[in-house]
Amino acid sequence: MAELDAQIAAPARLKLMTTLTAVSEAEFATVRDALEVSDSVLSKHLAALEDAGYVRRRKGVHRGRRTTWIALTPRGRKALSAHVAALRELIRGVD
Amino acid sequence: MESEHDRPTAAEAADALTEAEASRTTLAHAITTPSWCFTSLGTAVAVQIGLAAVGFADGALLPVAAGLAVFAAVAGVQLARFRRRNGVWLGGFASRVVLGSAAPASVAYALALAAAIWAAAGEHWWLVALWSAAGGAGYALGGRRWLRTYRAEPAAHGRGESAAWLALVALAAVGGAVLLAAGA
Repeated sequence: MAELDAQIAAPARLKLMTTLTAVSEAEFATVRDALEVSDSVLSKHLAALEDAGYVRRRKGVHRGRRTTWIALTPRGRKALSAHVAALRELIRGVD
Repeated sequence: MESEHDRPTAAEAADALTEAEASRTTLAHAITTPSWCFTSLGTAVAVQIGLAAVGFADGALLPVAAGLAVFAAVAGVQLARFRRRNGVWLGGFASRVVLGSAAPASVAYALALAAAIWAAAGEHWWLVALWSAAGGAGYALGGRRWLRTYRAEPAAHGRGESAAWLALVALAAVGGAVLLAAGA
């Protein structure tokens, strides 16, 4: 059976990483608004996922303001796919 | 990896997946194109096809280069507007819509360019204009079609081709155009 990934176990992190699969890169405020979380909550999850090598952050500019651009790494995409597969297995086990 | 104690129940796993996918769908549906995006891209492609056909018929590089410059300027502006409007970079939009790598756009472009060159060689200028317009319209419609496909499956279509691959294709296209014009 596929194993769940502890780094993505929190629903907020699963939501964050899944949302990032829709784009190549997204600006911090766009992600924050899409997830409906505070700046500090998003920063905390991003820091943990960045440490795991699942997301990368870079400084940039958006609408003339300095901001952070966020993207999933190839490792993050792979980890997310494996985690989602494990969740689906878990769900199927009950069906 | 986590312990059995942390393992979610099937219901919790289903809820988490549903919520995550809903969030992704919401973001994908919130992404919109700037005003006149498809119209300006279609027009730029029509101009580029027309000028390329004229250039090939006359054996002149200048119209070919001018057409490419018009397209590059419009494409650059639309990409910048898209990024500014949505706060995201979407590789699929850049490659499939703006650079026309989606199958309908690339087929429409190739057919229209070939037909326009043939018409220009016979000095049928109204046909050159007609095929150029048709190519631009096909390109724009291909872009609209991609956007619908993306919204239905954002994870599968969001990233598009890699930047290195696109640079290679662009280089090959410009090189091919120069060789064609030089040999005409």
